[in-house]
Amino acid sequence: MAENNLNMPVQAPAEDRPVIEFKGVSKTYRSGTHALEDVNIRINKGEFAFVVGSSGAGKSTFMKLIMREEKANTGTIMVNGYNLTKMRRKYIPMLRRTMGIVFQDFRLIPKMNVFENVAFAMHVVGANNREIRKEVSKALSKVGLGDKARSMPDELSGGEQQRVGLARALVNSPDLIIADEPTGNVDPNMSYEIVSLLTEINKKGTTVLMVTHDHNLVRDFKHRVIMLDSGRIVADNTGGVQE
Amino acid sequence: MKARSFRYLIGEGFKGAWANRLMTLASMGVLVACMVLLGLALLISQNISRALGVLEKQNVVIVSMKDYHWALYDDSVKKVTEGGDQNGITPDMYVIHNEEEAKAFCDKIAALDNVDSVEYIPADEGLTATRDHFGESEKKFFDFLEEDNPLSDAARVTMKDMGRFRETVDQIKEIEGVDSIEEQGDLADRITAFKNGLFIAGVWIISILLLISLVVVCNTIRITMYSRKLEISIMKAVGATNAFVRIPFVVEGILIGVFSAGIAAGLLYFCYRVASEAMEKTFSMVELVRYKDAVLYLLGIFLVIGILAGAIGSFIMIRKYLRREGSEFSAI
Repeated sequence: MAENNLNMPVQAPAEDRPVIEFKGVSKTYRSGTHALEDVNIRINKGEFAFVVGSSGAGKSTFMKLIMREEKANTGTIMVNGYNLTKMRRKYIPMLRRTMGIVFQDFRLIPKMNVFENVAFAMHVVGANNREIRKEVSKALSKVGLGDKARSMPDELSGGEQQRVGLARALVNSPDLIIADEPTGNVDPNMSYEIVSLLTEINKKGTTVLMVTHDHNLVRDFKHRVIMLDSGRIVADNTGGVQE
Repeated sequence: MKARSFRYLIGEGFKGAWANRLMTLASMGVLVACMVLLGLALLISQNISRALGVLEKQNVVIVSMKDYHWALYDDSVKKVTEGGDQNGITPDMYVIHNEEEAKAFCDKIAALDNVDSVEYIPADEGLTATRDHFGESEKKFFDFLEEDNPLSDAARVTMKDMGRFRETVDQIKEIEGVDSIEEQGDLADRITAFKNGLFIAGVWIISILLLISLVVVCNTIRITMYSRKLEISIMKAVGATNAFVRIPFVVEGILIGVFSAGIAAGLLYFCYRVASEAMEKTFSMVELVRYKDAVLYLLGIFLVIGILAGAIGSFIMIRKYLRREGSEFSAI
C-alpha cells in the first residue's frame, strides 16, 4: 500500500485491496490479559463478515483495534489504507471518518431529534447545511425513517432507534461499517430487519463487519463468519456456520 | 477547521451554557462574587493610593542654595575687611551669584531621574510664604526682615517615587551650591512601606480570587463534560478532532466569564455609588475615585479574568478528560 511519510493514505482502497488486514497481531493488556494472539485476517472491500465468539473471546479487542481505540503490541493492522500500528494519534479522527460505527446501545443523544442525531455526524466532518439536509434525508429514507425526522429518540422503538444509529453510521458514506452487536437490544424480528438493512448497504459496496451472539442471524444470512476463541481465530468460513 | 464548523461549535457552546443553565448560573454566582470582591479591593486600593498621592505631593524637599544671603549669615564664611563689599563678602565666597545661576542650579536638580518638579523660590518669595503661615498679629514681626532677609534662594522639589526618596536627597546633596535640605524622610519611608504592603496584599487577594475563579469554572466544565459524556463519545466515534470536542466547552467557559464580568461591573457600580455618596456626605473632606473613572478599567480586568478563567479552565478540563477517557467511546 502506498503511503506518505505521515502514514496518511495516498489513494482510496481498490476493489482487490483489503479494507481490513491483520498480520500477526497480538494484544496483551497492562493487566496481563492476553486478548488476541497472532491474529491474521484479511477482509476485502465489499465483504460482509460476522464476528462471533463467546464472552472474553477477544471480539471487543478486535473491534477496538480496528477503530484504533487500542494499539496492538505486535503485528501490523491496516484499515482503509491507514497503517494503525504506525499511525500517530492526531490522525485517528481521519481514520474514523472512513468508517461508520453502530453501537449495541444505539448511542443517540436524547435531547436531539432524529434528524439532529444523524446530522451531528456530518457537522463533525464540516459539512454545510445544504449537504447535511440532503444527506440526512437520504440516510433516513434508506433506513425507512424518512417520516420520523422530527421525532425524539424516546418516542421511537428499540428497532427504530437502532435504525437511526445505522443512518448516522451511513450518512458520511463510509467505506466500512462496524456494527458492535447491533441487534443486542432489539426484538428478533427487528434483528432480521437490521441485518437485512446492513446486507442491502453491503450490496451497494460498503464493507460490513458485525459482531453478534445471535447464531440464528449468522445461519440465516449467508455471510462470512470469523469465529474467535481465547484470542485466536478458530474458524473463518464464508457462507455461515453450522450449529 | 472550516469556518462553518467553527460557527457550529460556537453555537453549540451557547446551547451548552443554556442546556446546563442551573450549573451555569451557580458558577456565574460564585464568579460574580469573586469579581465584586476583587473590584472592591481594587477600588479601595485606588482610593488609598489617591490619598497617599496627595500626601506625597505635600512631601516636598526644600533645597537652600549657597547664595549671597547664605554667605552673609553663615558662620563658616569668614568675612574680609579688604577687597569685599560693605558686608565683607567677595563673589568667590558663595556659589550662586544671580537668578540665572539659581535657575541653572534648579535645572541640575531637575535633571535627576527621580525628580518630578523643581520650583525656584527667590529669597523674597520664601520670606513672604513663611510670613503667610502666621496670623495677622504675628506677621508684623517679619517686617524688619524685609530690609535684611536672612533666607537664601531655594528650590522646591517634588519626587516621582517616594521609595527612592533618600537616594534622591543624597544625589541632590552632591550638587555644588547646596546649603541645606529640609526633608521629611520618615514620612516618605512610611508612605513607601504602606504602599508596598498594599501592593503585596493586592497581589495576594487577586491571586486567590483568580484561583477561586479558575476552580469554579473548571468544576462547572467538568460537570458539564461528564453530563455530555455520551455526546463526546459519539463525536469521537464519528471522527471528531480533539479541537472539535473542546471548542464548545471553551466557548461555554468564556460565556460564563463574560456574563459574570458584566454583572459584577454593574453590581459594583451600584454598591460603590451608594457607598461613596454616603462617605462623601459624612466626611466632606473625603474625595473618592469616581466609579465612572474606574468602570472601564474594572470591566476590562473582569473581562480578562472571566475570559482567561473560562478559556483556561475549560481547556484544562477537557484536555484532561480527552487524555484519560476521550477515546474510549466503546466502553461507555
